[in-house]
Amino acid sequence: MTILDVAEIAIVNEQDIVVARKGIREAAVGVGFGLTDVTRIVTAASELSRNVYIYGGGGLVTWRVLLGDRRGLEIAFSDDGPGIEDLDKAMQPGYTSGRGMGMGMPGAKRLMDEMVVESAVGVGTTVTVRKWLLHRYE
Amino acid sequence: MRLGSILMVTVPSDPDDDTISDLQVRILSSMEGSTALGLILDISTVQTVDSFFARTITETVQMVSLMGGITVLSGMQAAVAVTTTQLGLTLGSIPTALNVDRAMITLQHLLEERRLS
Repeated sequence: MTILDVAEIAIVNEQDIVVARKGIREAAVGVGFGLTDVTRIVTAASELSRNVYIYGGGGLVTWRVLLGDRRGLEIAFSDDGPGIEDLDKAMQPGYTSGRGMGMGMPGAKRLMDEMVVESAVGVGTTVTVRKWLLHRYE
Repeated sequence: MRLGSILMVTVPSDPDDDTISDLQVRILSSMEGSTALGLILDISTVQTVDSFFARTITETVQMVSLMGGITVLSGMQAAVAVTTTQLGLTLGSIPTALNVDRAMITLQHLLEERRLS
Protein backbone atom coordinates (compact mmCIF):
# COMPACT_ATOMS: atom_id res chain seq x y z
CA MET A 1 0.00 0.00 0.00
CA THR A 2 1.48 3.33 -1.07
CA ILE A 3 0.84 6.49 0.87
CA LEU A 4 0.39 9.47 -1.39
CA ASP A 5 -0.40 12.24 1.01
CA VAL A 6 -0.31 12.67 4.75
CA ALA A 7 -1.53 15.65 6.73
CA GLU A 8 -2.36 16.45 10.31
CA ILE A 9 -4.23 19.14 12.20
CA ALA A 10 -4.00 19.76 15.93
CA ILE A 11 -7.42 20.16 17.53
CA VAL A 12 -6.97 22.80 20.21
CA ASN A 13 -10.11 24.89 19.87
CA GLU A 14 -13.49 24.75 18.13
CA GLN A 15 -12.24 26.53 15.01
CA ASP A 16 -9.77 23.70 14.43
CA ILE A 17 -12.74 21.40 13.76
CA VAL A 18 -13.56 23.60 10.74
CA VAL A 19 -9.90 23.56 9.65
CA ALA A 20 -9.85 19.75 9.84
CA ARG A 21 -13.16 19.54 7.91
CA LYS A 22 -11.73 21.75 5.13
CA GLY A 23 -8.50 19.76 4.83
CA ILE A 24 -10.32 16.43 4.82
CA ARG A 25 -12.81 17.72 2.22
CA GLU A 26 -9.92 18.65 -0.09
CA ALA A 27 -8.23 15.28 0.49
CA ALA A 28 -11.48 13.37 -0.21
CA VAL A 29 -12.11 15.33 -3.42
CA GLY A 30 -8.47 14.67 -4.38
CA VAL A 31 -8.91 10.91 -3.93
CA GLY A 32 -11.82 11.10 -6.38
CA PHE A 33 -14.84 10.57 -4.12
CA GLY A 34 -18.18 11.86 -5.40
CA LEU A 35 -20.07 14.63 -3.62
CA THR A 36 -22.21 12.32 -1.46
CA ASP A 37 -19.21 10.33 -0.22
CA VAL A 38 -17.23 13.53 0.35
CA THR A 39 -20.14 14.80 2.46
CA ARG A 40 -20.28 11.49 4.39
CA ILE A 41 -16.54 11.60 5.09
CA VAL A 42 -16.50 15.26 6.15
CA THR A 43 -19.55 14.79 8.39
CA ALA A 44 -18.02 11.74 10.10
CA ALA A 45 -14.79 13.73 10.51
CA SER A 46 -16.72 16.61 12.04
CA GLU A 47 -18.35 14.31 14.63
CA LEU A 48 -15.09 12.58 15.54
CA SER A 49 -13.00 15.79 15.71
CA ARG A 50 -15.61 17.27 17.99
CA ASN A 51 -15.28 14.21 20.24
CA VAL A 52 -11.52 14.83 20.36
CA TYR A 53 -12.18 18.44 21.37
CA ILE A 54 -15.02 17.87 23.86
CA TYR A 55 -14.18 14.52 25.45
CA GLY A 56 -10.44 14.24 24.78
CA GLY A 57 -9.59 17.82 25.70
CA GLY A 58 -7.98 18.29 22.27
CA GLY A 59 -5.72 16.08 20.20
CA LEU A 60 -4.68 15.30 16.70
CA VAL A 61 -6.47 14.55 13.42
CA THR A 62 -4.27 12.80 10.86
CA TRP A 63 -5.26 11.64 7.42
CA ARG A 64 -3.60 9.86 4.56
CA VAL A 65 -4.56 8.83 1.09
CA LEU A 66 -4.37 5.07 0.59
CA LEU A 67 -3.16 3.83 -2.77
CA GLY A 68 -2.83 0.26 -3.87
CA ASP A 69 -5.39 -2.27 -5.07
CA ARG A 70 -8.04 0.11 -3.84
CA ARG A 71 -7.88 3.85 -3.32
CA GLY A 72 -9.18 5.27 -0.13
CA LEU A 73 -8.84 7.77 2.66
CA GLU A 74 -7.86 6.93 6.23
CA ILE A 75 -8.41 9.41 9.05
CA ALA A 76 -7.24 8.97 12.64
CA PHE A 77 -8.55 11.00 15.57
CA SER A 78 -6.40 10.72 18.67
CA ASP A 79 -6.37 12.29 22.08
CA ASP A 80 -4.75 11.60 25.43
CA GLY A 81 -7.95 12.31 27.31
CA PRO A 82 -9.76 10.14 29.86
CA GLY A 83 -10.48 7.28 27.43
CA ILE A 84 -13.78 5.51 26.86
CA GLU A 85 -14.91 3.38 29.80
CA ASP A 86 -17.52 1.33 27.99
CA LEU A 87 -16.94 1.03 24.25
CA ASP A 88 -20.14 -0.93 23.61
CA LYS A 89 -22.15 1.83 25.24
CA ALA A 90 -20.30 4.54 23.29
CA MET A 91 -21.32 2.79 20.07
CA GLN A 92 -25.03 2.74 21.00
CA PRO A 93 -27.10 5.40 19.24
CA GLY A 94 -28.46 7.87 21.78
CA TYR A 95 -25.91 7.15 24.48
CA THR A 96 -23.82 10.12 25.57
CA SER A 97 -21.53 10.71 28.51
CA GLY A 98 -21.51 14.44 27.82
CA ARG A 99 -23.58 17.15 26.20
CA GLY A 100 -23.89 15.48 22.80
CA MET A 101 -26.79 13.71 21.13
CA GLY A 102 -25.07 10.34 21.23
CA MET A 103 -25.00 10.14 17.44
CA GLY A 104 -21.31 10.81 16.84
CA MET A 105 -19.65 7.40 17.17
CA PRO A 106 -22.39 5.13 15.76
CA GLY A 107 -23.23 7.72 13.09
CA ALA A 108 -19.61 8.09 11.97
CA LYS A 109 -19.34 4.30 11.74
CA ARG A 110 -22.38 4.14 9.45
CA LEU A 111 -21.02 6.90 7.21
CA MET A 112 -17.60 5.26 6.80
CA ASP A 113 -16.60 1.77 5.58
CA GLU A 114 -14.36 0.83 8.49
CA MET A 115 -13.90 2.08 12.01
CA VAL A 116 -11.42 0.93 14.65
CA VAL A 117 -11.53 2.30 18.19
CA GLU A 118 -8.58 1.92 20.53
CA SER A 119 -9.11 3.35 23.96
CA ALA A 120 -7.59 2.94 27.39
CA VAL A 121 -8.99 4.62 30.49
CA GLY A 122 -6.60 7.33 31.68
CA VAL A 123 -4.45 7.02 28.56
CA GLY A 124 -6.52 8.23 25.64
CA THR A 125 -8.50 7.27 22.56
CA THR A 126 -7.68 6.79 18.90
CA VAL A 127 -10.50 6.32 16.41
CA THR A 128 -9.40 5.33 12.90
CA VAL A 129 -11.88 5.38 10.00
CA ARG A 130 -11.49 4.44 6.36
CA LYS A 131 -13.54 4.99 3.24
CA TRP A 132 -12.78 3.13 0.04
CA LEU A 133 -13.33 4.46 -3.44
CA LEU A 134 -15.61 2.18 -5.42
CA HIS A 135 -15.39 3.15 -9.06
CA ARG A 136 -18.58 1.39 -10.02
CA TYR A 137 -20.47 3.95 -7.97
CA GLU A 138 -18.71 6.97 -9.42
CA MET B 1 -33.21 40.27 5.98
CA ARG B 2 -36.87 41.06 6.65
CA LEU B 3 -39.63 40.49 4.12
CA GLY B 4 -42.93 41.76 5.51
CA SER B 5 -43.76 39.47 8.40
CA ILE B 6 -41.10 36.92 7.44
CA LEU B 7 -37.51 36.83 8.66
CA MET B 8 -35.05 35.19 6.29
CA VAL B 9 -31.69 33.95 7.51
CA THR B 10 -28.98 32.41 5.35
CA VAL B 11 -26.72 30.04 7.28
CA PRO B 12 -23.03 30.34 6.24
CA SER B 13 -21.58 27.40 4.29
CA ASP B 14 -19.04 26.04 6.78
CA PRO B 15 -19.75 27.59 10.18
CA ASP B 16 -17.85 26.68 13.34
CA ASP B 17 -19.80 25.86 16.51
CA ASP B 18 -19.54 29.42 17.89
CA THR B 19 -20.89 30.88 14.65
CA ILE B 20 -23.92 28.57 14.80
CA SER B 21 -24.54 29.45 18.45
CA ASP B 22 -24.20 33.19 17.67
CA LEU B 23 -26.63 32.78 14.80
CA GLN B 24 -29.17 31.26 17.19
CA VAL B 25 -28.90 34.28 19.52
CA ARG B 26 -29.17 36.72 16.61
CA ILE B 27 -32.22 34.94 15.20
CA LEU B 28 -34.00 35.04 18.56
CA SER B 29 -33.23 38.72 19.14
CA SER B 30 -34.35 39.54 15.58
CA MET B 31 -37.64 37.71 16.20
CA GLU B 32 -38.07 39.62 19.45
CA GLY B 33 -37.34 42.99 17.90
CA SER B 34 -39.57 42.56 14.88
CA THR B 35 -43.15 41.80 13.94
CA ALA B 36 -42.02 38.65 12.09
CA LEU B 37 -44.34 35.68 12.47
CA GLY B 38 -42.27 33.34 10.36
CA LEU B 39 -38.64 32.41 9.79
CA ILE B 40 -37.01 30.91 6.72
CA LEU B 41 -33.70 29.25 7.53
CA ASP B 42 -31.85 28.93 4.25
CA ILE B 43 -29.21 26.16 4.47
CA SER B 44 -28.67 25.83 0.71
CA THR B 45 -24.93 26.55 0.94
CA VAL B 46 -24.36 24.36 4.02
CA GLN B 47 -22.12 21.41 3.15
CA THR B 48 -21.89 19.65 6.49
CA VAL B 49 -24.77 18.96 8.89
CA ASP B 50 -23.36 17.17 11.91
CA SER B 51 -25.09 16.44 15.22
CA PHE B 52 -24.09 19.78 16.78
CA PHE B 53 -25.46 21.74 13.84
CA ALA B 54 -28.65 19.65 13.78
CA ARG B 55 -29.21 20.03 17.51
CA THR B 56 -28.68 23.80 17.41
CA ILE B 57 -31.04 24.19 14.46
CA THR B 58 -33.70 21.98 16.10
CA GLU B 59 -33.37 23.98 19.34
CA THR B 60 -33.59 27.28 17.48
CA VAL B 61 -36.79 26.17 15.75
CA GLN B 62 -38.28 25.19 19.13
CA MET B 63 -37.25 28.52 20.66
CA VAL B 64 -38.72 30.48 17.73
CA SER B 65 -41.90 28.44 18.18
CA LEU B 66 -42.06 29.37 21.87
CA MET B 67 -41.85 32.99 20.76
CA GLY B 68 -44.82 32.51 18.45
CA GLY B 69 -42.96 32.04 15.19
CA ILE B 70 -43.08 29.32 12.55
CA THR B 71 -39.86 28.13 10.86
CA VAL B 72 -39.35 26.54 7.46
CA LEU B 73 -35.96 24.97 6.75
CA SER B 74 -34.99 25.63 3.18
CA GLY B 75 -32.63 24.24 0.56
CA MET B 76 -30.89 21.22 2.06
CA GLN B 77 -28.49 19.79 -0.53
CA ALA B 78 -29.11 16.19 -1.66
CA ALA B 79 -25.73 14.94 -0.39
CA VAL B 80 -26.43 16.57 2.97
CA ALA B 81 -29.90 14.97 3.15
CA VAL B 82 -28.38 11.52 2.50
CA THR B 83 -25.67 12.03 5.11
CA THR B 84 -27.95 13.53 7.75
CA THR B 85 -30.34 10.60 7.44
CA GLN B 86 -27.58 7.98 7.60
CA LEU B 87 -26.05 9.73 10.58
CA GLY B 88 -29.38 9.15 12.34
CA LEU B 89 -30.53 12.76 12.62
CA THR B 90 -34.19 13.53 11.97
CA LEU B 91 -34.31 17.29 12.67
CA GLY B 92 -37.61 16.63 14.44
CA SER B 93 -40.67 17.62 12.46
CA ILE B 94 -39.42 20.94 11.09
CA PRO B 95 -41.30 21.93 7.90
CA THR B 96 -38.89 21.92 4.96
CA ALA B 97 -38.82 23.22 1.41
CA LEU B 98 -36.61 22.63 -1.62
CA ASN B 99 -35.71 26.29 -2.03
CA VAL B 100 -36.49 29.75 -0.69
CA ASP B 101 -39.33 30.40 -3.17
CA ARG B 102 -41.15 27.25 -2.06
CA ALA B 103 -40.31 27.99 1.57
CA MET B 104 -42.15 31.32 1.22
CA ILE B 105 -45.22 29.52 -0.13
CA THR B 106 -45.08 26.86 2.61
CA LEU B 107 -44.65 29.49 5.30
CA GLN B 108 -47.54 31.58 3.98
CA HIS B 109 -49.75 28.45 4.01
CA LEU B 110 -48.73 27.62 7.58
CA LEU B 111 -49.31 31.20 8.75
CA GLU B 112 -52.70 31.26 7.00
CA GLU B 113 -53.67 27.90 8.60
CA ARG B 114 -52.79 29.28 12.00
CA ARG B 115 -54.67 32.52 11.39
CA LEU B 116 -57.81 30.52 10.55
CA SER B 117 -57.56 28.06 13.42
